[in-house]
Formats: sequence, structure tokens, C-alpha cells
Amino acid sequence: MSSLRELQAGFRAAILVDDESGVAPNVVDDEVGASARLAIYRHHVFTSLTAALEATYPVVTRLVDRRFFGWVANHYVRAHPPAGPCLFEYGGDFPAFLAAFPACGHLPWLADVARLEWAMNVALHAPDAVALEPDALRALDPRALARLTLRLEPSVTLLESPWPVDAIWRANQPAADGVVDLGAGAVRLEIRRLGDDVVFHDLPPGTFAFRAALAAGRTLQDAVERALDAQPGFDLASEIRALLDEGALAT
Amino acid sequence: MAELLERRLAVGWLEIHAENYMGGGPVVRSLERLRADYPLSVHGVGLSLGSAEGIDGAHLERLARLVERLQPALVSEHLSWSVTGGAYLNHLLPLPYTDEALGVLCANVARAQDRLGRRLLVENPSGYLRFRDSSISEPEFLNALARRTGCGLLCDVNNVYVTCANLGGEATAWLDALDAAAVAEIHLAGHAVNDADGRTVLIDDHGSPVADPVWRLFEHAVRRFGSTPTLIEWDTDVPALDVLLGESAKASRRLVEGGDVVAA
Repeated sequence: MSSLRELQAGFRAAILVDDESGVAPNVVDDEVGASARLAIYRHHVFTSLTAALEATYPVVTRLVDRRFFGWVANHYVRAHPPAGPCLFEYGGDFPAFLAAFPACGHLPWLADVARLEWAMNVALHAPDAVALEPDALRALDPRALARLTLRLEPSVTLLESPWPVDAIWRANQPAADGVVDLGAGAVRLEIRRLGDDVVFHDLPPGTFAFRAALAAGRTLQDAVERALDAQPGFDLASEIRALLDEGALAT
Repeated sequence: MAELLERRLAVGWLEIHAENYMGGGPVVRSLERLRADYPLSVHGVGLSLGSAEGIDGAHLERLARLVERLQPALVSEHLSWSVTGGAYLNHLLPLPYTDEALGVLCANVARAQDRLGRRLLVENPSGYLRFRDSSISEPEFLNALARRTGCGLLCDVNNVYVTCANLGGEATAWLDALDAAAVAEIHLAGHAVNDADGRTVLIDDHGSPVADPVWRLFEHAVRRFGSTPTLIEWDTDVPALDVLLGESAKASRRLVEGGDVVAA
């Protein structure tokens, strides 16, 4: 008799790697065999997780076609089963998986489209933040400002891609025709939630470098240096004002 | 959700899946509005009460915070497991009904009830296989769990029907074996009829109306358990709200009739 812990490890192997040897001997097989009974559970695990990934990645699903997506998802679920039961949190490493998946190698922009969809999913479910008030900065000693780190509100993701992933995303909404100019070039997107809606837009190089540095936890001084490298005319005062006006800084 | 908020239906209460509301944003805000108009119960699918490695403390914390915020009338989970070796297998997986498993369940339910500060209801799952190790029946296992931990039972009548059809056993006898005093909620749902190895297998898919034999079994359950809060589960291919209300009305009629039988 196997202990419960061993039985559950065996069940996991039967589900994820089709190795039934650790559980099948303990399953009563009568008119329906142990394999067919285990297959019912396996089928549910894979169809429900594939559906969860499709819900998070609808544009990727449309781009590769649903049947191909299901096949990729099957590989992904086996390699990266969920770490927890909240399915809106499942699939964060799917973009990296796509980037390394040989059968998707002819679609070099696919992983970045997936990164955009993941950022939108994160924005949708991010906790509500309290926006930083301008007075909080005014009260600071100017000499302390350089070493300051500012936190972006939790729905924000900054995403840079050599591909026009924003145009690809728009062209592959349900009513759109799917036509897009892949030569349109790089984008530097900020994705976030405003009210109940998730929005994204392309930022100028300096603004993107500045906000990406803040998002990475760098000091204000470091962020400004990076922004000036990206865009020589970068103006810190107006950039800080914009962040405050947009409610993009969190307390 | 929008229609539920607009119409203010004359339904007794609504039940939410806990794991859908553990983030932030518009989904959770609409739940706050729903809570103002309807009594809620919280039904978890992810606590994995049957995990030999114990339950995930971080997930229990999230459930506890949701329960504190919503103050639901009832909180329920399942007699099943989903987590092993840190992987969450998205299904209510079956347990052997052994002394060892009972010990695991009792420890995990006790820990959950301690943190939640309230009684948990534990639901019988749909079964598609049995383990050779099992030494007692499913209702006996549930009774022992309720007796040892003080938890309540959520009797899913469709699951009883599906399990007995798939694994053998008489559904009315299953209900008769359950400790009636511990039953605090009933679930009803539709199931699909599939095929495995050339035999019929029933799949609990919550995607169709409650089947006639399940309604008859529900009448038996109401005679056994008395008038009990009853929920219709329908979460795939969800129909128009009025179809759901029709199912809910059918259940209410049977509860009233069954309740009279109990009172007599």
C-alpha cells in the first residue's frame, strides 16, 4: 500500500507525463479500465488549463489558430503546471516558453504579442493603488531627491519590442481584418489600468527609459541619466508632473 | 454579472468561486456591488484539503481575507486534492478513503477552520475512479470528518448521482448513509453523458439543466436532510438568466414540498 503522498505524486505523473505506473495498480479497473478512468481526469486538467490560457492570450490564439494553440498549450502545461489555484495568475512564463518553442520559430513577434497580453492581464487584476499626491514630493529636501526611488502604481508594465505589437494586437481583435504592417518598427509601450479599462500607448524613448528605470526600482538620478541617454532633450520636471497627473505613482 | 446587478432578482442567495476574486480591479469591484444586493456564499476550489503535504498557507491567507471582506453566510470546499509537489493540477482529484487520508483531511480542515474562524462545509466530489486501498465508503468518510473536526457537509446531489453511476452503488443508499445533522447546504447541477472503454460515463460539467433522475434524488435528499440552502451550479455554457431562474424555482418548489414532509 502506497502512502498518500506517494499516491499523489504518482497521480501527478499520470496526469502530466502519462506515466501511470505509480497510481494505476491502486485503481480499481472493472468494465472501465484504470487508464480510461485516469484519462477523464487528465482530459479535464488539460482542457480547463488550455481554456484559461486562451482567455488570457486571445490574440496569440487567433494568430496561431486554436488547434495549434491547444497543442502548444499542452506542451506548456506539462512543463509549467500552475503553482496556485487562481487561474488569472496562470501563464506568466508562457511568453518566454513561446520564444523558445521551436515550432513557433517562424513567428518572431509572437512572444512579444504574448508579453503584451500578459501585461494587460496583470493590469486587469492588479490591486487598486492610492495615487501619490504632488505635495508628498514638495515636502522633500531637494538634496534627497536624487537618491529617491518612486514606485509606479501596480497595474503598470513597460514593454519594449522591435515589432509593432500594438498594431498586431489591434488588427487581431474579433472584428478586425488581421492586416498589419510588420515593418512599422519598434514600440515602447506602457500598459496599465485606468478605471475599469486596460489601456496601452507608445511612449517617447526618454519617457520610456525613465519610467522603465523607476519600475525596476532605480533611483531618480539613475533613471534621469538613462532617460537622457535615450533622449537628450529629456525634461525631468515635466516628466514628473505627467506621472503625477496620470496618477501613475503609488504611495 | 451586469444583469444580476441591474435586476435585483428574488433569489435567496448567490455563490461565488473564491479563486476568481482573489485579485483586484473591476472584477472585485463588481463583486462588492453584488454583495450589497444579495446574500453571498463562498465556494473554494483550490484549498486542496486532501493534500498529503498540507494546505498552502499563502492560499489559506487569501481565502481568509476574502471571507473577512465578504462575510458570507457559508464557506465551502471539497473532499479532494489538487496540489502535490507545488503543482496545482486544476481538478478535484480523488482520494483513497483510508485512515491515513482521514488523518490528512482532519488536520487540513482543522487548520483551515482555525484560520477562517468559522465552520467549513466539505463537499462530496464527482468520482470517476476508486482506489483499491479504500476501506470505508465515501459517506462514512465524510461523517467521520464532520464528527472529528466539527465541519459541516455540502451534499452535491448531482455528484452523488454521477459517482454512483460511474463507480457502482445505490444513490439513495449513499444519501441515507450521510449524517443528516451535518448537512448544511445542497448543490444541484447538470452532467454530460460520455463514453469510456465503450461504457457510459457521466461527467459533472455544470453545463446543462439538472437531469430528471437527479431531481428525484433531490426530493429524497430533502426528505432526509430537511429544508436546506440549495444552489444550482451552472458554469459552462451558461444560459440566459431566466433559464437559471427557472431551475432555481424548480428547486424551491421541491424544498417547500419536501419541507412539509419533514414537518409532518
